[in-house]
Amino acid sequence: MKNYIFYLGILLLFLIACGGGDDDVYSPTPTDPNNTDDTIPDDTPDDTGSSDWLIPVSEVVDGGPGKDGIPSIDTPKFVSVSDSDLSFLKESDLVVGVLNNGLARAYPHPILDWHEAVNDKLNDKPVLVSYCPLTGTAFGWKGIAGGNSSTFGVSGLLYNANLILYDRNTDSHWSQLGLECVNGPLIRDVPELIDVVETNWGTWKALYPNSEVLSIDTGFSRSYGNYPYGNYKTDHEFFIFSVSPRNNSLPNKERVYAIINDGKSKVYQFEKFKNGRIVVENFNGTTYLIVGDENIINSFVLESTTVDLSFEYVFNNSEAFFKDNEGNKWSVFGTAIEGPRAGQVLKSTKSVVSYWFAIAAFYPSPEIY
Amino acid sequence: MSLKVAVFILLIFPSVVVNAQSCCSGGIPLSNNIGLATLDKGSIQIGLFYDYNNLNTLNTETEMLDDNSRLRITHSVLLNLSYSVSNRFSVEGLFTWVNQRRKISQFGNENLDQTSGIGDAVLLARYNFPNAIGEHSAINIGVGAKIPLGSSTKKNKGGITLNPDLQPGSNTWDLIYWSSFSKSFDFRPSLTFSSRFIYRSTGKNHSYIGGGSYEFGDELQALISFSDQFFVFKTIATPSLSVKFRTVKRDETNGFELENTGGNWVSIVPNFGIQISPTIVFSTKVELPIYRNVNGTQLTPTYRITSGVLFVIAPRKKGLILNERL
Repeated sequence: MKNYIFYLGILLLFLIACGGGDDDVYSPTPTDPNNTDDTIPDDTPDDTGSSDWLIPVSEVVDGGPGKDGIPSIDTPKFVSVSDSDLSFLKESDLVVGVLNNGLARAYPHPILDWHEAVNDKLNDKPVLVSYCPLTGTAFGWKGIAGGNSSTFGVSGLLYNANLILYDRNTDSHWSQLGLECVNGPLIRDVPELIDVVETNWGTWKALYPNSEVLSIDTGFSRSYGNYPYGNYKTDHEFFIFSVSPRNNSLPNKERVYAIINDGKSKVYQFEKFKNGRIVVENFNGTTYLIVGDENIINSFVLESTTVDLSFEYVFNNSEAFFKDNEGNKWSVFGTAIEGPRAGQVLKSTKSVVSYWFAIAAFYPSPEIY
Repeated sequence: MSLKVAVFILLIFPSVVVNAQSCCSGGIPLSNNIGLATLDKGSIQIGLFYDYNNLNTLNTETEMLDDNSRLRITHSVLLNLSYSVSNRFSVEGLFTWVNQRRKISQFGNENLDQTSGIGDAVLLARYNFPNAIGEHSAINIGVGAKIPLGSSTKKNKGGITLNPDLQPGSNTWDLIYWSSFSKSFDFRPSLTFSSRFIYRSTGKNHSYIGGGSYEFGDELQALISFSDQFFVFKTIATPSLSVKFRTVKRDETNGFELENTGGNWVSIVPNFGIQISPTIVFSTKVELPIYRNVNGTQLTPTYRITSGVLFVIAPRKKGLILNERL
């Protein structure tokens, strides 16, 4: 009898050990013996959408953290420029800036590095500010998917080292730098862009001292002062994920300003805008105005009503960034803030600040200004 | 099997400690779930173990972050086979089946990725020096290799190759250097102090995603253990307590170190072994980290449970080459 009790106890111990974890939630899915390509069978309860991709699925990689493993910020809080909450920000730290009906908001890279997506509202309209730390690209999109308001999350997948987002309406996958839905019910949809700029914290504060700034009170526990990718952004040869095609015309991690037009791209190097510069030129059939300095660049489409204006860089630590021969002063977002055209807004462009390698991979053989 | 053999197995068995092979400590317990006792020439040992590794702790260096949304679990079934070629020389193999899971619970949703399949294996050759540093002591040294039997290209249902951390195998041959020391005490012969060192020198996977390379960080483990025996229900029970130090270098891809990999850990490992028949020993143990200092920010082990049985098929000639007084 003693032996039976003993063996029962042993069996119980073994079952306790084997029964730990989430076995009650998910059952192990055995590998299909007919599945020669090591693909997990379809009844696996993970979700990567349908099988049709606009990009080579063999080049889509699992970044490691998993879907929502890098959590988007869905209830962002903001503080003023002078708030002590921002003591972790250095003057040279980069921020992504938006301006909407006079409301300026900055999203610091040291926070975006850990979240990559902020689902915000500007004047009660949903917007997404996304940032990919591995390609150095930030975009503002309207928070719409399939015609309805939607938030976006980080899928955990990458293509050419670049962030693939998913929308929470339809679970479709969106290539951030490709600017297109590449998989799922909304395949081939394109996002509606919102003009954003990227510059350093010092410049942003000078431009918009009354700006609101994304708070580190994100609802998540992260060490926002620490850059999570080591020397990735400074070592030109350091790639965590493969990128193709590669282009050696510029150092891989050089930050460039890129205009994208119908699948083609032209890039502008910040060093060529040192102390301020205005460029008006035609690219791919469109006349562009490119304004900037070594810290910030933005561009606009010159249309029939503005193409004859002459522009001059005037930034002197205030909102006025350039002026024209009519006496108008324009903000870096292309809004006339003084002069006869006050209130007029120049047409924004499809453009982004990016590491050189990324823009060259997504839009091969870009022109270099 | 003699009482001596059973006691010896119980003494040594608790010090077998499992470990991970993975950038986030979530992989298959390979590198030192080896090291069974060296028994008489011709002895065969068969171990069958289950290992549950739970990683639900997010750390930045030594700071534990308030975030349990990521859960990384590895279920492993481990089969140990050991044969004593002579009284001093033995060979051992470890074969695995593994189910690796990554579950993210965020925004009211749960997202699971998982792989299952045969994992990598280990072969180890060991040599024993009895009484090398005094009576009732033993030193063992061994060298082995990790054999890449497991797949390193498992994909999810969308056809996307999963991260190396979730793969059953690493597609590399690793070298394993193993040593142990044990000493019993005159004042209480059943009380044993032992230590163990394992170094794993990893190979490089040259067929990583996109044609690049990936290499898990080299790993060193050091353990010290105390164990004793008691009679319970007319059989032998062996509780033990180990302290385990583990240090892992950063992983590398294409020759560049990855920031959020590697680190240092100290764990305590309480273990309970019991002889359930003359030839079968059952043991179960829990590994509880008490110090974590990871590089960057990482998911790090929360706890680990290992249970299993060891069968011994001894030749007719009975006896031990170690701890002969037992």
